[in-house]
Amino acid sequence: MTHTLISLISIIVGIIGANIAGIILKKYTLGITGNTIAGVFGSILLIKSFGRLGFNPNAIMNLGSINFNLLSINILVSFLGGAIAVILIQKLKAKMNKE
Amino acid sequence: MEDMIFYDRLQFAFTITFHYIFPQLTMGLSLIIVYYKWQFLKTNIEKYNNAAKFFMKIFAVNFTMGVVTGIPMEFQFGTNWAKFSELTGGIIGQTLAMEGLFSFFLESSFLALFIFGEKLMGQKLHFLTGFLVFLGSWASGYLILATNAWMQHPVGYEILDNGKFVLENFSALFSNPWLLPAFLHNQLASLVTSSFVVASIGAFYVLRNKNTEYGKLFLKTGVTFGLVSSLLLAFPTGDMNAKNVAKYQPASFAAMEGIFETEEAGAEIVLIGQPDMVRKKLDNKIAVPNILSFLTYQDWNKQIPGMDQFKDEELPTNIPALYYSYHIMVGLGTIFIAIMGLAVFFLWRKKLYSFKPLLWSIMFLVPFPYIANITGWYTAELGRQPYLVYGLLKTSEGVSPNVSSGNTLFTLLGFVALYMLLGLLFLVLVGKTIHQGPTPQKH
Repeated sequence: MTHTLISLISIIVGIIGANIAGIILKKYTLGITGNTIAGVFGSILLIKSFGRLGFNPNAIMNLGSINFNLLSINILVSFLGGAIAVILIQKLKAKMNKE
Repeated sequence: MEDMIFYDRLQFAFTITFHYIFPQLTMGLSLIIVYYKWQFLKTNIEKYNNAAKFFMKIFAVNFTMGVVTGIPMEFQFGTNWAKFSELTGGIIGQTLAMEGLFSFFLESSFLALFIFGEKLMGQKLHFLTGFLVFLGSWASGYLILATNAWMQHPVGYEILDNGKFVLENFSALFSNPWLLPAFLHNQLASLVTSSFVVASIGAFYVLRNKNTEYGKLFLKTGVTFGLVSSLLLAFPTGDMNAKNVAKYQPASFAAMEGIFETEEAGAEIVLIGQPDMVRKKLDNKIAVPNILSFLTYQDWNKQIPGMDQFKDEELPTNIPALYYSYHIMVGLGTIFIAIMGLAVFFLWRKKLYSFKPLLWSIMFLVPFPYIANITGWYTAELGRQPYLVYGLLKTSEGVSPNVSSGNTLFTLLGFVALYMLLGLLFLVLVGKTIHQGPTPQKH
């Protein structure tokens, strides 16, 4: 059941990733609310899309104990998912609102 | 085994209670957003458009939190309730998959378009995206309620030799007599929550003398939607639901109404009282004679079976919790009608915006519709016990046999910690949005 907790941790890491990306890459920031929302969906999307390569929560807890290597990859991907989502959404937003 | 069931139920109760804080606002708020957008199309007054976009920001934060807190629910079907999923997956899998595939994607795709696509699409299409967000959120509610209605009153199924339930009649799932009253009652309850949220933000702005134009608009919309939905919540939808419980779950009906002994003719309605489970009676009771019989059967003298007519194993497992949940829900519902009625009266007399005690009351009452919604769900769920599927599958038969109570307790503690973090984040984000207020934009 711990993999349920890992899923939530991934999302929170995604939120952190998105907000850090917003702080560092100021031209892409969506504001704290927008970054947070982007972080949630970005991390879910990336983990759901690529997690089956071996770092999804089920794989991390496969033998009943935590595989810390896979967990680190999962956290890194979640972080990147959040950060990438902020950049993509800002680009999409700019394109949609072009005069 | 007892321990295991207790912790599995506690974990599910905690996660679903926290989860339901969010969808109850998104469902009702989506209708109010559509109303504002429609008003803007009709009048071309900019403040309606700004109001729609302001509440869509709050909607987006709520929706996101709903998604995050919904993930553990999905996992729990497999981890804690594997036997239940295995036995009933052929039926509840249909409605839950439809909820995920159709409603969630409809809601999330058009939410993004509503937030970012106003310039690209123009106002009519922008209204349409708002309407589709509303449709998606209500369809989501409908499909979840269809699942729950089947658990409360199973229809259209067949049980195979291996104990698995399979669907025999797909349309029976959606024509279940339990479904429509439950759905309407649930949606109106979420509209009450949203109305209180909208009105309380309005009251906050008016009291702070900030964004006053919007404050007045939000108050007017909130109290009007609030009165209509509170009234419809009591009658006819609350009445229809109570009649369904009396008809299909008579033991639960007796327990939630606090009827320990069957009265010879005409059952009283209990307003206040404390269940004494040892002496099987209500202490300090205040009741009105014969009203319950009239409300349920339109017959003052119709007998309603009390808990003494049922075997112990047919009765809900936690009668005091069921009784209190039901009475808290009904009591709060009555207070909502009174407060919103008073607010509409003052609005009509053009005194609402200056009558501070009422504005403070509206502002501080905002947690109570949430409590009423959640106790309403507790009534439905505690009333169904000791069954997962009423009359057919006991709760004890649905748990995962290999998950230890220690493991469940550990993850529950983890959920509590992470949800506190998410809850705090939610309050910060919504607080920030309210502090910023509706941003006026020029076209």
